[in-house]
Amino acid sequence: MKIFIIALRNVNRQKKRSFLLGGAIAFGIMIVTLINGFAGSFMENVADNFSQLFAGHIFIEGVEKTEEGKSIALVRDETILLETVREEGIPVQYINKRSAFGGTVFFQGKSVQQQVVGISWDEEEFLKDRLHLVDGGFENMELKKGIILSQNVAAKLKVEINDTIDIRLRTVFGQLNVGDFVVAAISYDPGLFGSISAYANLEYVNELLTLAPWEYQTLGLFLDDIRLMDVEVQRLYQALGEKVELFERKETVEENPFMAMMRQGEEEEWEGIRYRLFTLNDFLKELEQIVITLNIASVVILLVLLVIIMVGITNTFRMIMYERIKEIGTMRALGMQQGGVKSIFLLEALFLSLGGAITGLFTAGIIMFGLSKIYWGLGTPLSLLMKNGYLTFSIQTGQALMYVIIVALFTLAAAYIPTRKAAKMKPVEALYNIGTFRR
Amino acid sequence: MSIIQLTDVTKDYPLGKTTVHAVKGVTFEIIEGDFISIAGPSGSGKSTILNLIGCIDTPTEGMVTINGETTSGLKDREITRLRHNVLGFIFQSFNLIPVLNVFENIEFPLLLGEERMGKKEKGEWIDYLVEEVGLTEWKKHRPNELSGGQRQRVAIARALATRPQIVLADEPTANLDSTTGESIIELMKKINREMNTTFIFSTHDMSIIHIADHIIQLRDGLIISEERREIPVS
Ligand SMILES: Nc1ncnc2c1ncn2[C@@H]1O[C@H](COP(=O)(O)OP(=O)(O)O)[C@@H](O)[C@H]1O
Ligand SMILES: [Mg+2]
Repeated sequence: MKIFIIALRNVNRQKKRSFLLGGAIAFGIMIVTLINGFAGSFMENVADNFSQLFAGHIFIEGVEKTEEGKSIALVRDETILLETVREEGIPVQYINKRSAFGGTVFFQGKSVQQQVVGISWDEEEFLKDRLHLVDGGFENMELKKGIILSQNVAAKLKVEINDTIDIRLRTVFGQLNVGDFVVAAISYDPGLFGSISAYANLEYVNELLTLAPWEYQTLGLFLDDIRLMDVEVQRLYQALGEKVELFERKETVEENPFMAMMRQGEEEEWEGIRYRLFTLNDFLKELEQIVITLNIASVVILLVLLVIIMVGITNTFRMIMYERIKEIGTMRALGMQQGGVKSIFLLEALFLSLGGAITGLFTAGIIMFGLSKIYWGLGTPLSLLMKNGYLTFSIQTGQALMYVIIVALFTLAAAYIPTRKAAKMKPVEALYNIGTFRR
Repeated sequence: MSIIQLTDVTKDYPLGKTTVHAVKGVTFEIIEGDFISIAGPSGSGKSTILNLIGCIDTPTEGMVTINGETTSGLKDREITRLRHNVLGFIFQSFNLIPVLNVFENIEFPLLLGEERMGKKEKGEWIDYLVEEVGLTEWKKHRPNELSGGQRQRVAIARALATRPQIVLADEPTANLDSTTGESIIELMKKINREMNTTFIFSTHDMSIIHIADHIIQLRDGLIISEERREIPVS
C-alpha cells in the first residue's frame, strides 16, 4: 500500500512536468471523446429530424395496377393496414397520412421543379416545430390552397407571401392537371440534402391527384422510439405479408430495400394491389458513412495521441530515472527487489495516465454539457444534425473506458523500457550513478 | 563468532583503456557485535570494501562470506533478500526518500520483506527507533525540513528497522560538522552496545576513529594496520 503512496507522491514531485504530460493525455482524450460523443448522436439526430420531416419511421405505400396495366400509388382501404399495426402491438406514437406529387411550379414566366407533399396539418402539429419559417406563418395554411415553399424555390421564382402560383402535375392516372396555390409561408432550406419539399394541404393535393378525400398515398408510422424501427418493420412485414401482397424487402450492396421495391414495381408482372413497406433507415444508411468517417478520424487522432504519449512518457521516464537513480540505488540497497522498483515507477506512470485520461473525459463531459445548453437555432444547415437546435452528444461508456485502458496500457509500455533498465542496474552503480544514466 | 570474512578480495574498475586496482587483496574478519572503523584517505578503497561487504557490488577476485555464506554465487534475488534481512545501510549523503516523512522513511525497509509485522507492533517499534535517535518531535516531517545531523539520525533508525545483524555506514559523518559527526558515531556506538548490532563505518577523519573498538587502516587498496581494542562479548 505504501508503494501506492510513494508513486502518487512521486507524480506530485515535478508538478509542472506531470501537469504537462497529464495535460497532453487529457487533451487528446478530450478531443477523441468529443468527436465520439458527436458521432454517437449524429445518426440519431439526423434520423429524428428526418422522421419529423417525413412524418414517420416506418412507411406503408399502396400501389395499384389499373386495367390498362398502369401502376398508381394510393391507399384505398386502410383498415387492414391499421388493424395489423394494432394487432401486432407496433408501438406507434402517431400515424400520418400523406399524398405527394412532383410537379412544375410556374410564376410570372419562371418555373421550377418541386416535390409537393400534402399534409393534414391538424394531425401533424409537430411538423410546425421542425419546419423553420423565414417568412409568413402556419396560420396561412388554413387556406385550402395554401403552400409553404422553401427559401430556395421562393428565391428562384421571386414569389412573396400571398402570391398565387400554378403547379402543373400528373394525376395518379397520369393525366395532366394544374392547380393554383397561394404562398402561405417560406421555409428555411438547409440545402444539405437537395431542395426540401413544399408543403400543402392533403385535401387539396388529393383533389389534384384525383384521389378521394379519405384516400392518401403513404401511411407513416411514428414510433415511440426511433431505435425500434428496424425490428418493428420486420415484425410488421411478416404480419402484413400474411394478409396483403407486399413487395419484397431485401437489401443488397447496390440497393437499399426501398430502391429494390421500386424496381420490382416496374419489372415484375403483377396484378391488383401491393404494398411497399420501408423505413427511414433505408434512406439514411448512406449517412452512416459520415459516422464511420468520424469514428475513423477519432481512431487516427487516438493513434497520434498514443505515439505522442509513448515518446513523451519514454523521455520523461528516462529523465525521472536519471533524477532518481540514487534513490533507486538506495531502495535496492535496502532490499527492494527489481520488481519493486518497476512497480513504483509503473504505478507512477499509471497514475499519470489515469489522471490525465479521467481529467480528459471529465473536461469533455463539461464541454459537451456546455455546448448542449446553447441554442444554435434552426436556421442553420447544421440544425439537421441537432435536436431542435441543440447539439447533443452520446457517449458509450464501454468505448470511453476502452480508450482509458488503451492509453493506460500504452503509457505503461512506454514507461516500462526505462524503468526496467533502471531496475536491472547493479545497486552500486545506481547509488553512485555510474554508467547507464550518467549524462 | 565471525560474521563477515573477506579472503584475498580484490576489486578492479575499468577506467577508459586502463584498469584501476581499487582493492588489491584484502583479508580480514569481523566478529558479531564489532564496532569497526575502516579508515584511510580518500581513494584508499573504503567505499569499495563497504560495497562488497554490503553486497551491492561483487569482488573481482576473492571471497566475501557473510554468516558463513559466500555471496558471489547468489542470484540477484537472493542477494537482495540477504541485504534486506541481514544488512542495514547508512550513507554519506543520507539518501532518505524525499517523499516520505521521518516515520515513513524508517518504516520503508519493513515494507520490502516477506515477513509482515502486525500494524500495532510495527508502529511501536518505529516509534521506539524514532525515540532512540531523538526525533520524536520530527516524526511527521519530510527530510528537506531536517538538518544534516537529523537526517543521518533518521538514516540510522532506518538502517535498524529490520533488526539487521550488520549496519554499514560509508563515511556517515563526511557531510556533517565535527561535533554532529561525533555525536552520530556515539549514537551508533550506543546502539551497538544496546542491540549488539555489528557496525562498520568508514571514515577519512582520524579524529573520530578512536570511538571504534576495531580499526582497519587502508592505503591504496591495501590494509596497512589492524588494531583491536576491545573484543565484544557474545
Ligand atoms: N566506479 C568506478 N570506476 C572507476 N574507478 C573507481 C570507481 N569507484 C572507485 N574507483 C576508484 O577506486 C579507488 C578506490 O575508491 P573508493 O573505494 O571510492 O575509495 P574511498 O572510498 O576510500 O575514497 C579510487 O582510486 C577510485 O577513483
Ligand atoms: Mg568513499
